[in-house]
Amino acid sequence: MTSYKENATLESCFRPGSTLCAGCMEAIAFQNVGRVTDNGVKTVFTIGTSCAEVSSLAFPNVVAWGRGDAPPDDFARSFSILHNVFESAPTLAEAVRDVADSLRDHGALSAPVQVVATSGDGGALAIGLRALLHTIHRRTRVTIMVLVNEIFANTGFQYSPATTPFASTSTTPAGAASPGNMMPPLDYVHLAIAAGAGLVAQLSPAHGKLFQKTMERSLVCEGTAVVFVPAPCITGWKFDDGQTVEIATLGARCGVFPAFVWERGKGGAVKDCPLDAADRPALEEFLGTQRRFNHLVRRDPVTGGFAVREGSEEVVARFRDWTQANVERMYRLAELK
Amino acid sequence: MSTIERPVLPLAHEPTPSGEIYPDAIDLERVRAAHVDQFTQREQVTVDGNTAAALAVLQMWRCLIYPGFPITPSTKWIETIASKIADEPRTKKKVKLLEAEHAVADYLVGAAAACRDLIFPTATSSVGLDHMTETTRSLGASGLGNVMLIDVYRATANFPLCIEGDPSDTLAHRDDGFIQICTRGKQQIYDTILQAPCLGMHPEVLTPTMPGYYGIKDSHRSARLTVEADKAIHAFQDGWIQPCPLPGLINGDTAFGNCVTSKHFQGFKLSQRRRMENVLRVLPAVGADFEKHFGRPGLAFFDEVGWPEHGSVDIAVVGMGPDFGTFEALRESFEQYAGLQVAGLAMRLLTPFPSEAVRRRLEKAQVVLVVNQAHHYGRGHLTLDVVDALSTLPHPPRVVSAFAGLGGADVSEATWERMLEQARAGEDGRHVEPAAFFHEGRPL
Repeated sequence: MTSYKENATLESCFRPGSTLCAGCMEAIAFQNVGRVTDNGVKTVFTIGTSCAEVSSLAFPNVVAWGRGDAPPDDFARSFSILHNVFESAPTLAEAVRDVADSLRDHGALSAPVQVVATSGDGGALAIGLRALLHTIHRRTRVTIMVLVNEIFANTGFQYSPATTPFASTSTTPAGAASPGNMMPPLDYVHLAIAAGAGLVAQLSPAHGKLFQKTMERSLVCEGTAVVFVPAPCITGWKFDDGQTVEIATLGARCGVFPAFVWERGKGGAVKDCPLDAADRPALEEFLGTQRRFNHLVRRDPVTGGFAVREGSEEVVARFRDWTQANVERMYRLAELK
Repeated sequence: MSTIERPVLPLAHEPTPSGEIYPDAIDLERVRAAHVDQFTQREQVTVDGNTAAALAVLQMWRCLIYPGFPITPSTKWIETIASKIADEPRTKKKVKLLEAEHAVADYLVGAAAACRDLIFPTATSSVGLDHMTETTRSLGASGLGNVMLIDVYRATANFPLCIEGDPSDTLAHRDDGFIQICTRGKQQIYDTILQAPCLGMHPEVLTPTMPGYYGIKDSHRSARLTVEADKAIHAFQDGWIQPCPLPGLINGDTAFGNCVTSKHFQGFKLSQRRRMENVLRVLPAVGADFEKHFGRPGLAFFDEVGWPEHGSVDIAVVGMGPDFGTFEALRESFEQYAGLQVAGLAMRLLTPFPSEAVRRRLEKAQVVLVVNQAHHYGRGHLTLDVVDALSTLPHPPRVVSAFAGLGGADVSEATWERMLEQARAGEDGRHVEPAAFFHEGRPL
């Protein structure tokens, strides 16, 4: 394993030039994963249509991918990326994995190849859930990184199966007759474990060292490694730039998307998110940072803190119940072997 | 730059329009050497069409992985390959069963882009092809000529579901961007599949291929087939398939499948069209070389029957598929009975449609009978292409359009005779419907 400091000196395959929103968690995740993959192994990324794709691979703009300022002489540092439709990233990665393995099996390729698939939660959990689960089910030796911003950001911030309860999205808007999204999110962490993944994590670069270590482990996982990256979306969640990592940290600590790492045969752990709600930051502190929850909380002009809006007490109480159930669920999943 | 010592694998590399290529990263000779022959000499076998198609791809050393998903009537293609591989412990070829046709198409993108010097075939039918559509259109524009999608024709739609073979599936995908070649008979199926990658992977073409044959009629019925020795096939294909000039994901440093702004979209589509147009030049050369190697007709725009040297006929018939053979069988007797000269074209190349060659062949016909076997709200897919091909003639022949054999129904002798009577009426200058349906010898 590379130390955190050493990793910071590596060269990311995600380079300047993307048109992602400044401070977007996707860019932060790509920067970090990009450095982890600078490990002496030829790297291939696959990417389904998403914000990340249209913002980093749009001709004639700069292609924001590649290692180094010039094509590397060292083949192991060369980098390729393939885009296809929303749901395709896991299957594309599986195909690359199979071809590389077949060539190595024939003695036709001496260098190892590592493959990373990236999707949004719309691509992986809505239109592409079938592709995701079957690639996992076939124990494909790839890392799948799902950037969970809880909305279809690329098409205008519509509800996704990962949307947090009571969030206002463009297709589940909060209004006088509706408190926002009424559906609990899909239990995608459990689904990935049940489908047969070798490593499953819910983790963002807000937990920097753990994120790096987990991504390194994912690249040498014998089966499929799936890392769900909670990805606060500046435009969709409606917060000010500069708050991305803070919100990602708060969301994990208060129990909305607890940091979680699990490996088959070893079990797992919830990190930085106590089981007892009293030991966690108040839910209102997380909700108050984003205007998608503006219908539930407001800033108290006296204390400066966030308070539940009058009339929303029952909804926020249900939100708290869901959050507690969510944390308990993650603790139970951690016990699986 | 990294401060950490890493193992270095220095390889020569060179720029291409699509990124850097490391030509020595993959040693394809190892793949060729590992191939286990299916046949060491020319042999006669009796097989159905799906088996003929399976044998052809098994004999190619560039085919290592066979992705697929079963659907009637194409299923036996993947079953045959799985069975042959299961019986051969020396081979490293693999069948890859995906969870749905869409995944197969996505897999083809990933695999073909990973190594552009290998060939990745699959077979499907009907709504299976429809389910792939989102990605077949990516593939069609991809430049991945090393993808071969074998379409075993079957009527589309599930209301009503019909598992027999009409070409409505392939004709609904005319604009996906594949080179579409219709075949009839086991030998033509086998021979066409052997030639298709030579065409698709040609550096001036770089376009995926979609050879097809009629479900049930050709996929499930058996006949004699001459198979060639694997080594002879390799010698033929290696003469055409050179190392891809563009990088793959594994032997390259490249970005593939980028999105573009509308300003640049035009250029991409124009390039795609020009590569497709090059098919009209490359295909006859591949076909002629195949004939030189194996002594059988190779790829052609169409099969011709009954054409006099001067090219003038009273009735020219344009059709496709195995039912055209029934017309061939009764053509002379109809000529004698009607006192007319009758000739025909069985279309092979559907996309790009060889308009100029069709025009040259049909320009001296009095009337052209076009037989369509797929549902269409106009005069028929094939009719529209033929009419378009003839449209630049100052005095184009009259075109009589017929529908027959929908849902894979046999086009019987009686039906052919009734359609020829319709053409004869057109030749006499009598009124005929713009498009008429025929079944079991009667107009509907």
